Amino acid sequence: MERRDRLNALAEELEERFAAWGRDPRPWPDDLFGELALRAFELQFEHVPVYREYCRRRGADPASVDGWRAVPPVPTAAFREVELTVAAPGPGDLVFRTSGTTRGGGRRGTHRVTHPDLYRAALRPPFARFVLGGSRGRAEAGRARAGGRPAGEGAGAGAEAIRDHRIGSLVTAFEEAPDSSLSFMCDDVLRTFGAPGSRQLAGESGPDAGAALAFAEGCAADGVPACLLATTLGLDAWLRELEAGGTSVELPAGSVIMDTGGAKGRDGLERDDVLRRARSALGVPPGRVVNELGMTELLSQRYGRVPGRPLLEGPPWLKTRVLDPTTLEPLPEGEAGVLCHVDLANAGSAVAVLTEDLGRMRGGALEWVGRSPGAPPRGCSLATAELLEARGARG
Amino acid sequence: MRGVPWHLPGLPGRDGRETEAGRTAAGASFRVPALSREDAEAVADEVRAAALEGRGRLATARVIEAAAAAAGRVADPSDPAGREAASTLSEELGWPSALAEETLSGMGRSWTEDALHRVVERELGGTAVLDGWTDEGAILPGRRRRASGPPLLFVVHAGNVPGVAVTAAIRGLLVRSGVLSRAPGSEPGLLACFARALTAEEPALGRSLATTWWPADGGEAAWDTWVKRAGKVVVYGGEEAVRGVRGRVPGDEDLVAYGPRLGVAVALPDASAGEAASALAADVCAYEQQGCVSPRLAYAVGSDPLELGRRLAEALEEEVARLPRPQPDEATAVAIRSARAEAEFAGLAGRDVHVLGGEGLAWTVVVGGEDPLLTLGLPRLVRVHGAAGVEELGRTLGPLEGRVQTVGYAGREGLPALADLAARLGACRIAPLGEVAWPPADWLHDGRPQLLPLLRWTEWE
Repeated sequence: MERRDRLNALAEELEERFAAWGRDPRPWPDDLFGELALRAFELQFEHVPVYREYCRRRGADPASVDGWRAVPPVPTAAFREVELTVAAPGPGDLVFRTSGTTRGGGRRGTHRVTHPDLYRAALRPPFARFVLGGSRGRAEAGRARAGGRPAGEGAGAGAEAIRDHRIGSLVTAFEEAPDSSLSFMCDDVLRTFGAPGSRQLAGESGPDAGAALAFAEGCAADGVPACLLATTLGLDAWLRELEAGGTSVELPAGSVIMDTGGAKGRDGLERDDVLRRARSALGVPPGRVVNELGMTELLSQRYGRVPGRPLLEGPPWLKTRVLDPTTLEPLPEGEAGVLCHVDLANAGSAVAVLTEDLGRMRGGALEWVGRSPGAPPRGCSLATAELLEARGARG
Repeated sequence: MRGVPWHLPGLPGRDGRETEAGRTAAGASFRVPALSREDAEAVADEVRAAALEGRGRLATARVIEAAAAAAGRVADPSDPAGREAASTLSEELGWPSALAEETLSGMGRSWTEDALHRVVERELGGTAVLDGWTDEGAILPGRRRRASGPPLLFVVHAGNVPGVAVTAAIRGLLVRSGVLSRAPGSEPGLLACFARALTAEEPALGRSLATTWWPADGGEAAWDTWVKRAGKVVVYGGEEAVRGVRGRVPGDEDLVAYGPRLGVAVALPDASAGEAASALAADVCAYEQQGCVSPRLAYAVGSDPLELGRRLAEALEEEVARLPRPQPDEATAVAIRSARAEAEFAGLAGRDVHVLGGEGLAWTVVVGGEDPLLTLGLPRLVRVHGAAGVEELGRTLGPLEGRVQTVGYAGREGLPALADLAARLGACRIAPLGEVAWPPADWLHDGRPQLLPLLRWTEWE
């Protein structure tokens, strides 16, 4: 079979399994995950020469890799240097780019997605379950909207989705930001799951506070639960505008907010503070604000639903290990280390990804500690970027 | 932490004094007294009075003798003071004790009586001008004059090579100032060890030196009081720390700042790659590459950078085998991995980049890469590039003008041109590889004399 055909076959199987989990969210047996992960690894080893050589240098090949834990992970830094794709690039590809970081010399990583449908299939069921609340959450929302009409089961990959939330996205539209995987995801869930009246609330220059307020007031007036999608920073900015204007809106019961980013202290804000203010300005309790952890290099996401505890849940096709950042050996429960994800939705690029995020396992759940802050300054010797920047700053 | 990381002569005794809690990057926790405005004033009074009293009673030669004796004990692992200093440093930095001892004994080479006399001799022609009126000596001859530092110097350490706090305190004592020191949070205890040894050696000098620590976002009473009381403020640290202190000091002439710089290594065309690499590895591994002199970039001029990189890798492997090294913390390990991965994938993608790395992230050599100036401030990580000649190297290094502390070299071919280039770049020194990490006691730190910027002169017409 040609490589595209083999990948297509795997992608189709994965799409079906993802959708099935959306209808019946039961854990997967470990051997099923392992078998699918190894199929993805074999394809990537065979058809991504750069990755094949990377594996060979580490003595790994399909004959020696005997389980998903042994798949050599691709460091996120690699995405800044190469495009990793099993299939040849094509006109229908999505090309997502990371934001540039100081550590990466300002260069941006690229993740080419040759199978957009696989991405859609991977993002929808977890969003429905963890953000819209699965059957229980949708039932609550449905009752709030229709005077007690319970919502049915099955927010799968498409048309059967129950559109009981009016979704408003404060994230820049995909049309405006075609290299943002977050924008793609928000647009997709808005179209897939949004009740009539769902709409984009951000323009070219970011969130449109006026439009967002009108949206919230509309939901409140119509008694339709809202689902707001925002970066934590964008949500914070909008809440500030509401506070400055002395405005608050009581969103209907069942309303929910999905915020992304905004780890403790990062971006100069405390998420707990944002949550407190969201309750005060919008009437959405912290337990209904779901933190999304996604990254450009991964096509699946994790979600944190417990206020004050950064525990993250995800779909069964995304497994995460906590590794010692020096040795890459697995760490025991409770010890913080670097996160290594194996994401079957990445079948077309890199199924195992070694991140620069720190986390630990607690009671079998993943606790996200945060993005590694970069090496602390040591002594009086600095990176040249800082030296040059400092000189520039002095003019 | 076992050792007491503060020494505050004149601190009023008080029941139930609040303390300030600190924690070094390596996780050592410590406590120091929280200073009120009155406390800071009382300490400044005591240190000032002791310094002025010392001027009348002790010759500068005695100050040198006592400071060298105390510092010598701190640098000597066979002395109880040296054992305390090494164990304090080891705990604060998370370093194996052998590395702490090696660093202290290296620093100790510039703390000897001979070394301190050399500094005074070179800059002032001898101690006479510090002890009284003289018309002799190398500086400003022909009229009677004397010189001394202000009664109080305030030295702020926000980041430096371990041991520099001791060097800075000794410089202050040599110019007969009382020294108030805000110790580095990374290693607050070493200067206190020195202060205790100094007190044992010469109590009046021990009272001329105070050291403690406070958090970056705290200590306002001490900041305000000591800046106001000090005739000059000296700061060692990164750009942000220097800017922060500059904002607190009213006049530019009252501030002496030592900001961040970096070291560069050059293998000239006739250098033996093996010898250059061995010497460079020693400079890289000295005090964990934390110094402004520490080489982070190496250039093979007229030779194969990959060969130099390979030999450097071998030499680094030998260095880390010779002396155990600390494990990187999580964030540092992640950053080293990221740097390695970027380089490796650039190479895999066909670009001319090679990465060589030791087990456990012990060392990393990256050869090639698009940006010949890129460094990341990570431990035991060196980037090696090629340059056709010294002229091309000059064009490459141009943007670093004013930011190079030391140019280290191996080989002789083209050395005069390289020395001229170092001067054009405003580098503070050019030195053979292997000696880069340990400048002579009387070096021009950041291109300046050490004592002259601290002095006030009076001429008798």
